[in-house]
Amino acid sequence: MKVDSFTYALPVHSRGECMSVLKISNLIKRFEGVVAVDDLSFSVSPGEIFGFLGGNGAGKTTTLRMVLDIIRPTSGTISVLGSPPDRRNAQAVGFLPEERGLYTGMSAIDTIVYFGRLKGMKPADARNRGMELLSRFDLADRAKSDIGDMSKGMAQKVQLATSLVNDPELLMLDEPFSGLDPVNQGLLENEILRASDRGAAVIFSTHVMQHAERLCDRLLLLRKGRKRFEGTLDEARAALPARLVAMAKSDLSLIPGVARAERGEAHGDGWHDWTLHLSDGVDPASVLEHCSANAIALRRWDEHRASLHDVFVQLVGADPDQAAMEREAA
Amino acid sequence: MSPSIDMNNVLLVAGREIRQILKMKSFWLTLLILPVAFALGPIFAESLDDDEPTRVTVVDRSGGGAAQALEARFAAEDAQWLLRDLSRYVQRYGLEQADPKASWAQYDRWYTDADIAAFERAGGLDAALEKIAAVRPEGVPQFEPDPPAYAFSAPSAELSAARGEDFGTEARALFDADDDTSPEIVVLIGENYPADPRIQLFSANQPRGSFVTTMQEVLTTDLRARLLAAQGVSPANAAAVQSAAPVIAVDTPPPGGGAREALLVRSIVPLALAYILVMSLMLSGSWMLQGSVEERSNKLLESLLACIRPEDLMYGKLLGSLSVGLLMILVWGACAGVAAYATQGAISDMIRPALDPVSSPGIIAAILFFFIAGYIAISALFVAIGAMVDSMSEAQGYLMPVMLLILLPVTFLIQAILAGNSGWIVQVLTWVPLWTPFTVLARLGMGIEWWEMVGSGVLLAGAIVIELVLIGRLFRASLLSTGQKPSLKRVIERLRASPAR
Repeated sequence: MKVDSFTYALPVHSRGECMSVLKISNLIKRFEGVVAVDDLSFSVSPGEIFGFLGGNGAGKTTTLRMVLDIIRPTSGTISVLGSPPDRRNAQAVGFLPEERGLYTGMSAIDTIVYFGRLKGMKPADARNRGMELLSRFDLADRAKSDIGDMSKGMAQKVQLATSLVNDPELLMLDEPFSGLDPVNQGLLENEILRASDRGAAVIFSTHVMQHAERLCDRLLLLRKGRKRFEGTLDEARAALPARLVAMAKSDLSLIPGVARAERGEAHGDGWHDWTLHLSDGVDPASVLEHCSANAIALRRWDEHRASLHDVFVQLVGADPDQAAMEREAA
Repeated sequence: MSPSIDMNNVLLVAGREIRQILKMKSFWLTLLILPVAFALGPIFAESLDDDEPTRVTVVDRSGGGAAQALEARFAAEDAQWLLRDLSRYVQRYGLEQADPKASWAQYDRWYTDADIAAFERAGGLDAALEKIAAVRPEGVPQFEPDPPAYAFSAPSAELSAARGEDFGTEARALFDADDDTSPEIVVLIGENYPADPRIQLFSANQPRGSFVTTMQEVLTTDLRARLLAAQGVSPANAAAVQSAAPVIAVDTPPPGGGAREALLVRSIVPLALAYILVMSLMLSGSWMLQGSVEERSNKLLESLLACIRPEDLMYGKLLGSLSVGLLMILVWGACAGVAAYATQGAISDMIRPALDPVSSPGIIAAILFFFIAGYIAISALFVAIGAMVDSMSEAQGYLMPVMLLILLPVTFLIQAILAGNSGWIVQVLTWVPLWTPFTVLARLGMGIEWWEMVGSGVLLAGAIVIELVLIGRLFRASLLSTGQKPSLKRVIERLRASPAR
């Protein structure tokens, strides 16, 4: 594998200078001629919840693995807490992989302590923190049970505990909601918010847009390794033009600012449903104002702003719900 | 190899590997099987040994002394064995001063009839043991004579009366009785012997060849004596001619074996070391493999690799496997020590000459080096297999050739050493790093030149460094590649892969 021009960021010693917990610049990763990550740049700040969205093969897992130093970039810069990716960062990083599993012959608390110690914790500290997490996850009475004797849901909670045991400053969750029942999904959402509240930067990849809409301060959309969007949820919604549903007698396609109008069901006496797709940058209120000024009679006026789902479909070119269902089935 | 090994993580992984293996029932079963087999082996062997003498009845209808001659001959043979065993006992414990002139204090000879007669005249075994007891130090066990090989008894009235085919029927009826008094061999010497020289031998089981040979010798002597007497030769002259025999002196190294026997004794411990290395390697290697397969099939590698470098994970596994192997050997060694102590020196007397070739500090250091190096060299292959497969059934495909590659030459090697052969193949095996540890360990008893040991050791160390670098690459490149069996081309690519893949 040819390493083109890969450079790591220099460690930043002054806390004031290091505003980002994670900073990625111009990151490229090629696998045997295939570009998995293409010139990707973004940063995540302390306390921020950052959604990492994209279809299958978009490059999300590859990016997270590069941040963890499991694989190396072809070129670009990665800075984790001001340092290049290295296992020495493990004590400040928590990671929940998409493919999950634990040693079936180990007890829940021993598993958490083992991962805590691999992250540089003292045994007693790891045990205390592990018991605290198990209590919070309602598993204190199963602390000494082998993972093999636990239900899948319990084992998933233990796995989550292994990623949280060291109170990470950077928490990375790869498809964390995949395979979780609704109760555990709620528990995970709480843990993400809790980590953010104590100042940790949280990155999670997901196909489920509702989780991203509920949790993310900012999000990034990836398609075939390239960034298609980065910003807040509102900015994402604004990226797509609004859609209006109205009932009128007149032909609404002639109103200025309407890019496309579809006449729908007829309700008699000349009344029809209309779906209006506005041109970029046109405010729905200006369309309503035009109707009012020109005495265009209206019986219904609904304003539909683009959902994250719409944005995902538009920018990524795939239906996230369909993709999520396919993943669950797999 | 990267210089920045995180020993803390390596030890953590090793500790987890050890705990996982110690939880396996198969580990404890295997650990205990060897000592139990060694403990039960002698008991089984003893129970299989037929210590009871074979019961023989001779029906002599010729009126001569053939029956007495047979009995006397077997008694003489028993006495000969007794003298030989007694002399070995005296030699082993240095008790010659009990009676330096006695035949049993001179072990460099083949005991003749004259020696046996002198032994009997001097009071036989009881008198000899009395003399020995006077000089036997405390702790030296008493001499335990073996029972005689054959016990002769007079024929029953029914057997004596039986004629023609009835005799055979009667003899077989005695065999069928299957009690502790009925004869197991019946010899019939007919009325017309020696005119009709046929002798009939009835036996419950296939008679030993030595019995038939001895019987033939005795009866031939008797037959010739009768024929010489018929020619007018006096019985005394006839007997003198028949008993004329050379006196054969035998020179053997202590404790009574030949040079090859001595070599075998010296090779016992080295061969055992080579064998134990193979056994413990195969066992701990396959347990480690199970652990690696579990990590892959349970999909927990990515979680691990977020905290630990692949190289540290690999070294931890190797260290864990090595520790389990050494633990097994320690336990087996401790069991052997307890057994030696419990048998009050009987085993240690045997082991002492066997330990001679492996008792110098230099040799002990060499044993440790080749043992540990062998463990790392072979365990690394198991690690490589564990990194490439998703299931134990898939692992079998790789395991079989690796095991054959190790076991076949080692089996040949052990046989060659047992046969006292240190030919060119053994020399070649010494210099092939994969087999160097086994060959050097096995050759310690026969004697190996120091330059061979140092040279092959350096070569082995270099080969291990290269092996670890290559397998480290394969390990790193294979860990997250699940779901498909890697082709040979893919394996070679991974061996070449730089860490920055």
